Amino acid sequence: MASSITSSSSRLFPITRDSQPTSHSPSNFSKFASFPSSSSSSASKTSSYISCSLTRDPSVLPLEEQTNLSNGSVPFQRPDSFGRFGKFGGKYVPETLIHALTELEAAFHTLSADEEFQKELAGILRDYVGRETPLYFAERLTEHYKRENGEGPHIYLKREDLNHTGAHKINNAVAQALLAKCLGKKRIIAETGAGQHGVATATVCARFGLECIVYMGAQDMERQALNVFRMRLLGAEVRPVHSGTATLKDATSEAIRDWVTNVETTHYILGSVAGPHPYPMMVRQFHAVIGKETRKQALEKWGGKPDVLIACVGGGSNAMGLFHEFVDDKDVRLIGVEAAGFGLDSGKHAATLTKGEVGVLHGAMSYLLQDDDGQIVEPHSISAGLDYPGVGPEHSFLKDIGRAEYYSITDEEALEAFKRVSRLEGIIPALETSHALAYLEKVCPTLPNGAKVVVNFSGRGDKDVHTAIKYLKV
Amino acid sequence: MMTCKLQLGGAFAFARSNNHSVSIESSSLMVATDHQNKTNNNLLPRELAMATTCVPTIKPLLEKELRTHPQETNNDIINSGKFGRFGGKFVPETLIVCMSQLEAEFNKAIHDETFKAELAEALRDFAGRETPLYYARRLSEHYKINNNGKGPDIYLKREDLNHGGSHKINNALGQAMIAKRMGRNTVVTATASGQHGIATAAACAKLGLDCTVFMAAKEMEKECSNVKLMKLLGAKVEGVNGSYKDAASEAFRSWVGEMEKSYHLTGSAVGPHPCPTMVREFQSVIGRETRKQALEKWGGKPDVLIACVGTGSNALGLFHEYLHDMDVRLIGVEAAGCGLDSGKHSSTLAAGDVGVYHGALTYLLQDQDGQILPPHSIASGMEYPGVSPELSYLKESGRAEFSVATDQEALDAYERLCKLEGIFPSLEAAHALAILDNLVPTLSDGSKVIVNCSGCGDKDAALVFDHKLFHGKV
Repeated sequence: MASSITSSSSRLFPITRDSQPTSHSPSNFSKFASFPSSSSSSASKTSSYISCSLTRDPSVLPLEEQTNLSNGSVPFQRPDSFGRFGKFGGKYVPETLIHALTELEAAFHTLSADEEFQKELAGILRDYVGRETPLYFAERLTEHYKRENGEGPHIYLKREDLNHTGAHKINNAVAQALLAKCLGKKRIIAETGAGQHGVATATVCARFGLECIVYMGAQDMERQALNVFRMRLLGAEVRPVHSGTATLKDATSEAIRDWVTNVETTHYILGSVAGPHPYPMMVRQFHAVIGKETRKQALEKWGGKPDVLIACVGGGSNAMGLFHEFVDDKDVRLIGVEAAGFGLDSGKHAATLTKGEVGVLHGAMSYLLQDDDGQIVEPHSISAGLDYPGVGPEHSFLKDIGRAEYYSITDEEALEAFKRVSRLEGIIPALETSHALAYLEKVCPTLPNGAKVVVNFSGRGDKDVHTAIKYLKV
Repeated sequence: MMTCKLQLGGAFAFARSNNHSVSIESSSLMVATDHQNKTNNNLLPRELAMATTCVPTIKPLLEKELRTHPQETNNDIINSGKFGRFGGKFVPETLIVCMSQLEAEFNKAIHDETFKAELAEALRDFAGRETPLYYARRLSEHYKINNNGKGPDIYLKREDLNHGGSHKINNALGQAMIAKRMGRNTVVTATASGQHGIATAAACAKLGLDCTVFMAAKEMEKECSNVKLMKLLGAKVEGVNGSYKDAASEAFRSWVGEMEKSYHLTGSAVGPHPCPTMVREFQSVIGRETRKQALEKWGGKPDVLIACVGTGSNALGLFHEYLHDMDVRLIGVEAAGCGLDSGKHSSTLAAGDVGVYHGALTYLLQDQDGQILPPHSIASGMEYPGVSPELSYLKESGRAEFSVATDQEALDAYERLCKLEGIFPSLEAAHALAILDNLVPTLSDGSKVIVNCSGCGDKDAALVFDHKLFHGKV
């Protein structure tokens, strides 16, 4: 789910012509001066000076060896030291931000190996966030998908909706806030569209006593007055942005400007596995607790592994959080479900991995929805969190190597699933999550009897009540 | 069977006891004691009027009911339905057998290992238990900072993290499972703010039971999001003129009309025996977990437990485990609304008198003629003119202390927790938090205080917003 990078919550970098330097535009060359790189996997820092240039077609780049092993399993280093997943990922950012990103990566690796940090984070996830979240056997949903002969898969829901704030987002927000605190940063910034990511960020800042500034388009502030109020109740400063169309992309520009100006004191809480390295890796690692718990719980419940994992994909953070643990288990199918909006042929969708092409957006090379001139196509989905024209680079990689499968679900199918699961299981899914649940209609008839399916129930649907009621005429 | 009959100007109400519980001497004593304890000369008319307040239509006894003998009850858990002089079964003759059957069924269930295992699994995987015991560091420091760094350590029992957003699910699940065991296919209930309605609708959806929720029409407007959630979960929501007490009466009447097929699910620890005991038993998981967690965290017991009191279910859920630990202070906090002197409050234990209401002898808010006074609180869940008979007993025996907090104090506490801990308490729970201001200075350094954060208040943000807007503070 694109918790911070969606058209209604945030974009890391502006994507209009009058914006920042061309490093993020898919149709331009980017050239980097030398910069120190940090080692991606060892705790000790090694410095080497590297100069590289990038053309539009990254296949001509001298990449590190990244071939699949002969047994079909995915190479261990994801990402490599350049922050690449195969050809995807990278750090397409203005010069001024390179140091901050490098510092962030180094801090991340240091703290990953730091027992005190891990212990503190585990305590916060347990007592504040409410982990571990249950792996719930959806009896009535399972019954619903049984074939006439009584056979069918067993459906389990990984209950990220039970987390504090009602979605998986807090796993990453809390970890990044703790990391920022360890880095001595006292100031947190974020941008938000509909307000979900803003509220999650404001929540963790209140918890940690950090100053929180959320940039929001003035127009969005009017439409989402209650979320603005919530953020203010949590002690955050919500700064209206009046430039441009006064919406998300303008808020993003402003947030970037703030970060560039205050990079010494400020940490940018990015909410999804998109953006420049190290964010895709970091956010994935912070969400990886979802998959780790799932493995343990699956073993407890049925003494084995899941057969199929299904998750919705906007930016891709909840999906990576569930998948990551199982990427090297090739007997576990990974299925990501994007938003098909009004339909793939309507042109109004957000099915990046199905209909997009490779380019650079928001600091990373990935699939994105672009026209022939390399301009971003406005996406559409009924769910704000999936309404994103890009996708995390690791998903692009997993798709290309065939490790994960990606499909899409329309608004209507998602709404039906929303209603179905609410009625059958008494749990109201977020509209984002409903996309993953809707895919059960397609996949269950094809699965053998007793196959274990785990759907990442990434968020609860209280926030979507008004939208759903309108469409469902309940 | 021994019976004493009270004639009430045309309507009959039977106070009835069976051989296993209260002897006729005691039931007369029940009434007589009130005569003796009362200083008010208008006792008799008031008490009689109380007994008529909520008498459903009396139906002729069915032959089947006359011939049914309730099973022998094991009194380990189920008491006589009396808490000192409070409690009892003030219901029409027709319902006595039903209540006895329910009591028998409940007793059987809670001694049935299969039922207990199923309930434990549902509480873990569906509701999300156990809920954390969270150290509110910043809230504790907020109080310590004005006292040379000394003060109590404040913990929050995070019932807000339950599925449905409050402690209500503990009881709704337990009772819905009992309804299913009894072969009922419909559940009826009443809800004040909607929290219990949501929990019941969720539990019913999970178990495949039909659900009808009665709610005061004015509350439906105030809490329209909750109404939508209930409908999405498949429940029917019926509006009732008046307030919660009227909705409660209507739910009861509706059940009486369909007693064979439907189950009346009480959400609060009020009503005729066995309802208060049942609700308390299902909620007592809160206190049991707390004991275990306190031991894990600091190797001891809490010094003070604080909970808000509307009807008393969350308070009893926390307190019950510690009733015999005399070194643990139990503090219940009622709603003082606009102030005790304003006449617009819901402080039953602080300002009420003893009488019979909704089938039990308990404290209630009544005028000189024994008519129920309309309660008021900014928190709908606190707006009830009665209170659990068990809490009435704990007050009279001196085992528990009761305090009050006004609407404004609750609102201030709500905002304080948002800013300091990034947690939105429900407005109900905010009452419990509000008394910390006056209580903390009286407590010793390092004493352990646990506040039951009984519900999640992000839905209350709209109400808080409107309140501040109305008072020109936004």
